[in-house]
Amino acid sequence: MKAFTMFLLTAMLPLGAMAQEDRLYVNDKKVPENLQDLEAIQSALIKALPHARKATVCLEIAEGSGSGVIVSPEGLILTAAHVSGGVGRKVKVIMEDGTEHDGESLGLVSNTDAAMVKITDSKGGPYPFVELDRNDQTRLGDWVFALGHSGGFDKARGSVLRLGRLVRISPSTFQSDCSLIGGDSGGPLFDLNGKLIGIHSRVGTNLPVNMHVPMSEFTAHWDEMLASQFLGDGPFAERPKKGSGFLGVAAEPRPEGGLSVTKVGRESPAEEAGIEEGDVILKFNDTELTTKDQLVELLDEMAAGDPLQLEMLRKNGKEETLKLRLGER
Amino acid sequence: MNAKLIPFILLLAGSLQAAQTLETANRRNGNSVVAAFEMQRQVLQTSSAVILDKRAEIGYGVVISADGYILAKASELVGVSNLWVRVDTDLYREVKLLGTDEDWDVALLKIEATDLTPVSYAPSSDVPQGTWVVANGATSLKARRALVGIISAKTRTIPDGGGNLGISIQEKSGAVIIEDLDPKGGASLAGLKKDDQIVEIDGHQIGSFDDVVEVMKERRAGTAVKMMVLRDGKEITAEPLLKPGPLTRNDTMSGAFSQRRSGFPRVLQHDIIANKEMIGGPLLDLQGRCLGMNIARANRAESYAIPVEDLKKLAERLMKQYSNG
Repeated sequence: MKAFTMFLLTAMLPLGAMAQEDRLYVNDKKVPENLQDLEAIQSALIKALPHARKATVCLEIAEGSGSGVIVSPEGLILTAAHVSGGVGRKVKVIMEDGTEHDGESLGLVSNTDAAMVKITDSKGGPYPFVELDRNDQTRLGDWVFALGHSGGFDKARGSVLRLGRLVRISPSTFQSDCSLIGGDSGGPLFDLNGKLIGIHSRVGTNLPVNMHVPMSEFTAHWDEMLASQFLGDGPFAERPKKGSGFLGVAAEPRPEGGLSVTKVGRESPAEEAGIEEGDVILKFNDTELTTKDQLVELLDEMAAGDPLQLEMLRKNGKEETLKLRLGER
Repeated sequence: MNAKLIPFILLLAGSLQAAQTLETANRRNGNSVVAAFEMQRQVLQTSSAVILDKRAEIGYGVVISADGYILAKASELVGVSNLWVRVDTDLYREVKLLGTDEDWDVALLKIEATDLTPVSYAPSSDVPQGTWVVANGATSLKARRALVGIISAKTRTIPDGGGNLGISIQEKSGAVIIEDLDPKGGASLAGLKKDDQIVEIDGHQIGSFDDVVEVMKERRAGTAVKMMVLRDGKEITAEPLLKPGPLTRNDTMSGAFSQRRSGFPRVLQHDIIANKEMIGGPLLDLQGRCLGMNIARANRAESYAIPVEDLKKLAERLMKQYSNG
């Protein structure tokens, strides 16, 4: 209820106090009344579209395809939690022109459907990105537009544009009459200045009912998501269970302590962190390893996506600390 | 793209409290917003035709001449026994279906009239995405209503697709065997049986699963293919009629979409949420000019129109071929 009180206050502030000199005048009309009003909406949309579209991406994760939007030149992407599905997952990021980049899912808020992904390619960048509406300037009835890869990536078609109004605002949800469909999940909702105001989340059974996660839900948990935390308990993503984590090594104890790596799984988190046969794991998150059972028990207490720190004695005799994330079993 | 789509979670109504809500009339296609498009609605009133099967509305049409030539979506006319047309407030019970163009799924109709107002064509369909467009919405006996939206994606070809044989197949050492059949599918109805070996489809030799996928990928529902199979060492031929493929989750959340929604040489895409009974009329720009003809509602978020350049050529060709004038 606290959020609602704040919301009412905002709505009652006089317009002058909001410092919104770039706010399109039609937004403050009940409805567009004439050709001039309609053309004002049209020209704002046409102006904002090319930039917004460049930053809109298709995300392919495991077997699924959704959408997202780049919000920093380094390639930080906002999407929906039900698209990223978890922390530390591999993501294929497809730009409007078909260029593909490797990416990884960061944190998410499972009860509001907010999530982050980042492009991990060393090539590429700076990436085209959009600005966020950080000051919560949107109001009921504002004209908005949606982009997304409806039905999956289609280069000949491009991402699909839809125009609508914000028809319902509640503390953690925007509803618009921009019609969404599978594949749009995680895609961006913009105001007519091209500022990002929401992320597509869910639809109603009635055609004009389309829900978006407002930017305020992202800014409220920004740092935790950046730090790859899994926040909240459902319904948009399932928290990984203990024992679901996967490292991908077989190891034998050494007489002088530590576990000597005898095998590294292909494409496992261990291989990706650079662990090789013959390396020795000395410490697992500060626990000194002496037996195989110890490693199994420690892993059983962890879940997919959990961060892990290993102190290693490498084949070449050097000690090194590796940081990685567990994969999914 | 092989990736499955991540579906939206369907939200059941009535869960959110503490919400501010915009009244229905002020929403994108609410009465008060659509009122700003009265000039374009007037064009729909006089230059779009309501296509009827007796009194039931089955679609719309584009009036292309003062003397009663009208274009409509052909596949929606199949099986119509009493083709009637209403233009403005006048009902025409004598309607001739002169001919159709398969590629565009457009039929040329003729009614006995003398002073209709044909659409005026826009100079080009090459307008920026985000451009307002207006199309037919629900109608009453007296009045056409407008639905509004925008141009929403690149103009392009929509390949054929969606035609389905209704079989599951298995590849066994260089031969493709029918493993199972949908009893209501085209293959079954054409007499094909389990364990038949597929030798040829439309003259293409079939030796692998991929051969079948390649031959079938751009086949449209409603067309037939010629198949040759081996059964007990004997060659048997059959001509199964392809049916629409299994419904996707996106289809099930899309309401009434057009049966024929693929295989168009070129389309303009827009975001007007019409149902399939609202297809066939003109797509207008803010000046009330005809940017194209609505030809398919593909799904919840995507509608297609024939671009005006192609529409003009098509209209001329159909008139030349089928009219006596």
